[in-house]
Amino acid sequence: MGKNVLLVDDSKTMRIIIGRSLRQAGIDFDNIFEAADGIEALEVLEKETVDIVLSDINMPNMDGISFLREKSTRDAIKDIPVLMISTETGDDIIGEAKSLGAVGAIKKPFTPDKVNEVLGPLL
Amino acid sequence: MEIQDKMIDATKEIFSTMIMMEINLEEITDVHGPLTDTITAMIGLAGKRKGVLAVHFPYPVALAITSSFLMMDVEEMNDDVHDAMGEIANMLGGNIKTILSENGRDIDLSMPSTIAGSEYSFQSDKDVEKVIISFSTEKGSFMVEMDLEK
Repeated sequence: MGKNVLLVDDSKTMRIIIGRSLRQAGIDFDNIFEAADGIEALEVLEKETVDIVLSDINMPNMDGISFLREKSTRDAIKDIPVLMISTETGDDIIGEAKSLGAVGAIKKPFTPDKVNEVLGPLL
Repeated sequence: MEIQDKMIDATKEIFSTMIMMEINLEEITDVHGPLTDTITAMIGLAGKRKGVLAVHFPYPVALAITSSFLMMDVEEMNDDVHDAMGEIANMLGGNIKTILSENGRDIDLSMPSTIAGSEYSFQSDKDVEKVIISFSTEKGSFMVEMDLEK
């Protein structure tokens, strides 16, 4: 059975680019779900089977850090791994994301090779 | 390394890794005139350093970038163009934050916003240090502007 991914980014353009980068990296998912912020992401996780989440940090309504914090309180979804994809790559903010369960981070801009290098071992 | 050199490197990295479009440095200045048939995407910086990072794309350049970003022909200024330009500002803002901030916590970034019009001015009402870098593309030139409060 294949895997499903959830892309969380307020930019539709960036969601398209991340999806394309996954394909260019040779990483095939059965389903690519999308959400524009942390609130939508939580709704998707509660409804769908998702194997890994790729999430931005700087988003309206509910940002990536708040999303991680809220997700960690929900037993049904708290163990789904989240990889941050963001322009925000300072040690403090990535450290906070990891303390809330993020399994790693990719800095924007990125190449498909970088996505494969970081995401590949997590699948 | 001067902030302008890092802005140049960051811009070139975005265009080479994600937009697949060749750009060349044209000039570095601290002033520009009214913007015509242009879209501006900007992101605010608050905290230890305050200011605005803006990118000004004439419509033909913005359409070419969005087409390349999305790998499909985009021929009119629509929401996709605004979104793509905003994301470029967002990526540049993240780089600038890394340059200006020791640990990523003492500067906050706003969400990107965009404006577009047939003719408008872009200027700060604060006393700012202004760096404007123009780049050329096959479709025309665009500018990256950093206004930091003194």
